[in-house]
Amino acid sequence: MKAFKIILLSLFALVIIIPLIAVIFTTFKSTTEVFANILGVPESFRFDNYVSIFVDQPMARYFMNSVIVTLFSVTFTIFFASLIAYAITRMFGWIGVVFFSLFTLGMMVPAQVNMIPLYQLVFDLGLTNSLLGLILVNISVTMPVAIFIMSGFMKSIPKTLFEAARIDGASEWKMYRKIAIPLSIPSIAATSIFLFVMHWNDLLYPLLFITKNEYKTLPLALLEFQGEYATNYPMLFTGVLIASAPMVLAYLFLQRYFIEGVTAGAVKG
Amino acid sequence: MNFRKNKSLFLFLLPGLILYSIFFIVPTINAVIYSFTDWDGLSPDFNVVGFDNYINIVTNDSIFLKAFVNNIKFMLFVLIFQTVFSLIFAMFLIKNTKTNIFLRALYFFPTILSSVSVAFIWTFIYDPSIGVLNTVLDSINLGFLKQSWLGNQDLAIFSVAVTQVWFHTGQMLIIFVAGLQAIPKDLYEVADMEGARKWDRFRFVTWPMIAPSATIVMAYTTIQSFKAFDLIFAMTRGGPNYSTEILATLIYSTAFRSFEFGYASAQSVIFMIVIALITVAQFRLLRASRVQE
Amino acid sequence: MKKWVCISTMALGTMLAGCVGGSGGGNESEEGGGGEGTISFIHWRGEDKAVFDELIAKFEEENPNIQVDMTIYPSEQYQSTAQTLLRDGSTGDVFTSFPGSQMEIINQAGLFEDLSGEEFLENYNDELITAGQIDDKQMAVPLQLVFNQPVYNAGLFEELGLEPADDWEGFLALCQELKDAGYTPIAFPGSDIGPGQFMNSMMMNNAPEEDIFERLMAGEAKLTDEWWVQTLSQFQELEERGFLNADSLGTNHTSAIAQLANEEAAMLASGSYAMAGVKEINPDIELGLLAPITTEAAEAEWEGINTTTFMLAVNANSEKKEAAKTFVEFLSDVDNASTYANETGQHVTVEDVEYESEELKSTSEWMDRNTRFQPRFLITNADIERAVIASIQSVVGGETPEAAAEEAQQIVDENLD
Repeated sequence: MKAFKIILLSLFALVIIIPLIAVIFTTFKSTTEVFANILGVPESFRFDNYVSIFVDQPMARYFMNSVIVTLFSVTFTIFFASLIAYAITRMFGWIGVVFFSLFTLGMMVPAQVNMIPLYQLVFDLGLTNSLLGLILVNISVTMPVAIFIMSGFMKSIPKTLFEAARIDGASEWKMYRKIAIPLSIPSIAATSIFLFVMHWNDLLYPLLFITKNEYKTLPLALLEFQGEYATNYPMLFTGVLIASAPMVLAYLFLQRYFIEGVTAGAVKG
Repeated sequence: MNFRKNKSLFLFLLPGLILYSIFFIVPTINAVIYSFTDWDGLSPDFNVVGFDNYINIVTNDSIFLKAFVNNIKFMLFVLIFQTVFSLIFAMFLIKNTKTNIFLRALYFFPTILSSVSVAFIWTFIYDPSIGVLNTVLDSINLGFLKQSWLGNQDLAIFSVAVTQVWFHTGQMLIIFVAGLQAIPKDLYEVADMEGARKWDRFRFVTWPMIAPSATIVMAYTTIQSFKAFDLIFAMTRGGPNYSTEILATLIYSTAFRSFEFGYASAQSVIFMIVIALITVAQFRLLRASRVQE
Repeated sequence: MKKWVCISTMALGTMLAGCVGGSGGGNESEEGGGGEGTISFIHWRGEDKAVFDELIAKFEEENPNIQVDMTIYPSEQYQSTAQTLLRDGSTGDVFTSFPGSQMEIINQAGLFEDLSGEEFLENYNDELITAGQIDDKQMAVPLQLVFNQPVYNAGLFEELGLEPADDWEGFLALCQELKDAGYTPIAFPGSDIGPGQFMNSMMMNNAPEEDIFERLMAGEAKLTDEWWVQTLSQFQELEERGFLNADSLGTNHTSAIAQLANEEAAMLASGSYAMAGVKEINPDIELGLLAPITTEAAEAEWEGINTTTFMLAVNANSEKKEAAKTFVEFLSDVDNASTYANETGQHVTVEDVEYESEELKSTSEWMDRNTRFQPRFLITNADIERAVIASIQSVVGGETPEAAAEEAQQIVDENLD
């Protein structure tokens, strides 16, 4: 069993590490080298691509835009969605089910289909080419996923805790703050990671709403390395790696809360 | 009575519900309305055609049926392997040792990448002449296993599904980890005292406790596999010969290649109904599996 | 619980900051949009970014009142979002269009400003800009000229004493010799652009009438007719005799380019636009263009395929049409078109352009040869276009030509009104 576990874990690790190495190597190569041998060690580890990606375009600007959009989108999605998830879990009877279904439905609509009506709406509201517009749409679109995940976890909080608090005269707001949220930290952390990745990599909405350079986000900027017939893979991957760095940080930061979640559970038990 | 009890809770719904209504419900209702028209997505005017689009999809659209079947294949493959892998890995990696923390982060890494990069990496892995997969198979004397991974029309959809599993297993792992960590340790102690074997521990302690996370993972995976548009489009564009066409790629082509926005909206309404039915069925099944004991 | 109070205060703070930041952004955008003379230019050629940056800098120097804001989308995203963005006139004062279905739909929506009678049209070759005309009005001007037929390794052909053939038997014999010499005769990027590109030269003489696809869409011609079944069986012949690369349906264009560049394959079934990419990997390779003749030499009406594309257009809803036209005029200038052609390695439709590179020079002769406008672009219904392409993949994947044609015709029938 132990051997099986080690083999399985290492195999999957390899399946991730090998392509990852290929990506890292690619950033040090010329296009010619890439096609000669995708896995080969680069001739030299020069940082030309890393330098030119910052020199040739306002990367810092794109980076800032992405950071702003992602931070606001994640924060508010989590805040609004946790409120809704709490309300849904606490609601009695069919009303909770109705709201749950209404929000869950949001995950099931293919984005391609409401994008034309959505564009019209955002344009009419004067929110194209503005980060605020992007953030508002992001929140609305990812809220269903967040509600779905968080309400799943909040349901497993023992009902007796709420009842006891109620007898002590606690308001819903107080129970949300003092019971639901503290006990949901691990699932909030997990949901946040999901949202971070989704908002950070999102291409569809920036593509639709942003056309001015000053409001472009990173994924939109990376598109310029893709040509009609030829794609500049070394530059594209350099961009991808630079772009993924903040996500690695976000992951490492949020992972702490998984650990805290465990210890909290242990103390309680 | 119910209503009064719920009153203060409605305030909790308000901020999210307002945004959701403006930026999601309104455009979606619009899209549903368009499904009864022949709008091309661009012109200022269009005609109302009633249920014609829906009738056409059912009676006169062989590609829609193909895409539907492909989508089910893709979904089942991803659902089974992604759920099983992420659950097994989560159970292996539940303790917070240094190695486990590292592995969890490593497994999560593919999720960070954008679909376009993942598609590019995997096209290189599957490439018939310079591809990593065939080269590796050759070098470990398993050359007979070499395949035309994306070129073979029967295989391509599963090759793409493998990529999807690679892409998102680490993400689902996180949900399971969060779920497993919520299990009180004393439950296992009780099970141990009663002399439960490993399988019994899983069956009677872990599974019932982890069922909420499993519900989330499975429903989310299902929905994700229906919407795996970016990845499939970047890898195969639905080809060769429609063999990797799924509903999302088909809806995209209908709307933006053929400019039949009304028809595409009708296709998506059916798409939504299908996902909704599957998700509800999953909820029922999983609830049943928990209640059983 | 102090922590929670902290978090909620932060959240509130960020909300306020978000609104302030956001509305500030909104104001800025309005100023930028209202300021006279900033035009938006949208297109799909990521590989042309550098040369356009250079040309735009020159343009802004010559026209200090006009600024150009360029946005590049990959062609797929361009297909899906460009039209949506064009509608309100805020984006794409100057935009580009593909010929075929995209042009058709943009025209129907009335987004093309009629350019007929503009002086700069005289810079272009009259014949070559007809693709931008609808009902005798010049709605757009195609800037690029490409030849959609196989690229071949001319040095290798010379070394082996081979010449492009002038009939089908000759083409097969040529492939056989290449195969015997240890080369893959044709690298066929069957997973992406290959079928849609190679079909043009494969069918041009099997169905020499240029209105063949128009008739197909009118229900007057069928894919199960001789011309298409014949084309499919010739694809089958190439596949069965091992003249296409192994697993061609799993091969994409990038990988096929590498096969020609690394001299594993002798021909690449895409088009002249691939030459720059091949040269980048292997600068010493000598390249030429050839088209398979699928009939007897005497019956062959066409020698090759051309496409005039990257069609420059002015948005009819734009508020800055004059500035937009000035920019199109600038790009139509011989000097600027030469810069564009030479730096991107593409032919252009502007006359009297001096081509500098060997490839462009050696393939310029194709401008005077009897080439046919890319038939695939005349399929204005995208579902039918896909069905046609899928039937090729189906045959290369082992299906019989008759069955593949039958299946494709069924999809065509479903799409006829």
